[in-house]
Amino acid sequence: MLGSLMVASLSSFGNGTVMAAVLQRSFVQDARVLTNDQLLFAFALARVTPGQSNLYIASIGYMMFGWAGSILSMLAIILPSYLMLPMLGGYQRLRTLSAVPRFTRGLASTAVGILMATTWNLSKDSLDPPVTWVVLTVALGLMIFTRLPTIVSLALATALGVAIVLAVPGAAGSVPL
Amino acid sequence: MRLWELFRLFFRLGWTFGAGTAMTALLQDELVRKRRMVTRSEFMNVYGLARIVPSGSTTAIAVAFGHRFGGLLGTVVALVAMILPAFTLTVLLTIGREQLQGTPAFPLLNLTIMPAALAIVIVSTWNLAQEFFHPSVELLLAACAAIGILVFGISPPLLLVAGGLVGAFTVRERRTRGKRTEGTKRSGEGEGAEQTA
Repeated sequence: MLGSLMVASLSSFGNGTVMAAVLQRSFVQDARVLTNDQLLFAFALARVTPGQSNLYIASIGYMMFGWAGSILSMLAIILPSYLMLPMLGGYQRLRTLSAVPRFTRGLASTAVGILMATTWNLSKDSLDPPVTWVVLTVALGLMIFTRLPTIVSLALATALGVAIVLAVPGAAGSVPL
Repeated sequence: MRLWELFRLFFRLGWTFGAGTAMTALLQDELVRKRRMVTRSEFMNVYGLARIVPSGSTTAIAVAFGHRFGGLLGTVVALVAMILPAFTLTVLLTIGREQLQGTPAFPLLNLTIMPAALAIVIVSTWNLAQEFFHPSVELLLAACAAIGILVFGISPPLLLVAGGLVGAFTVRERRTRGKRTEGTKRSGEGEGAEQTA
């Protein structure tokens, strides 16, 4: 687990969203130790908790190995940041290397492609009963067209989904409630 | 700065909403403007370097200033203080979810929160992608990466490293208002990506 999280953290430069794409492949598709729902839940926690956006992997660590897993998962975030110390020494040289920002730009654009593919993979599993499409559409609308904080959009869309499931027969599809 | 003061500063930082960008702004305000312990130029140098360290920028900044004010022990104090709030809340909420398993509320959770969380992923992806939607090497890299994942099942970390290396040799410098600049924004920049979502 720690190895996979470390690879995800390093290769995504600690970006929480890109890490989700890497983890979806490692833990959900390949190792099958997590479901897409678990990964999405963990990712959503980054939006409702303070601090930086990649600490949701503590949730993944907990789901897999309890408290020990959650604490170990933090090493995947913390250890790579110690590269800062030797790099501080060589900062002047790094600043003049034009390849460095070009590398990060190439990394960024590749990450976008990976995210698009992962979004497709996540969508296939998460969108089935009619109510999921309604919640998705409402959440997207609130996030794109309003200035509401993400956590509020999340809460409103979820509340609407709950209301629809409780009030409309068949909205939950074949999911037993 | 004493270790206890360092802990208090970064613990307060750990309660900031708005991800890395907000945290960095708050830290800059504290260290540069209020306490005058660091010049703005020094802070920006550290920030610029943190953006190219292969970890979250905020943790890299915590290591830098933790080391400056407290040596290696200072780095541990700064990091632990900063991640403690989010870590605790995240694990508690996860425990809450697991407690709901087996109850009628659990399938309801999957039917409602999951699609809303998927919306966050979609918006984050779109915000990142907008910058690359024009004919360019970057667009080609993005397309190849998507095809690599969906069609060939190539490992994402491998694709990321390959994309970075290709970019190092092929991405063109961008010119902004007559000033030569490199494309320094990265999607690995948690602050920018999450802030715009």
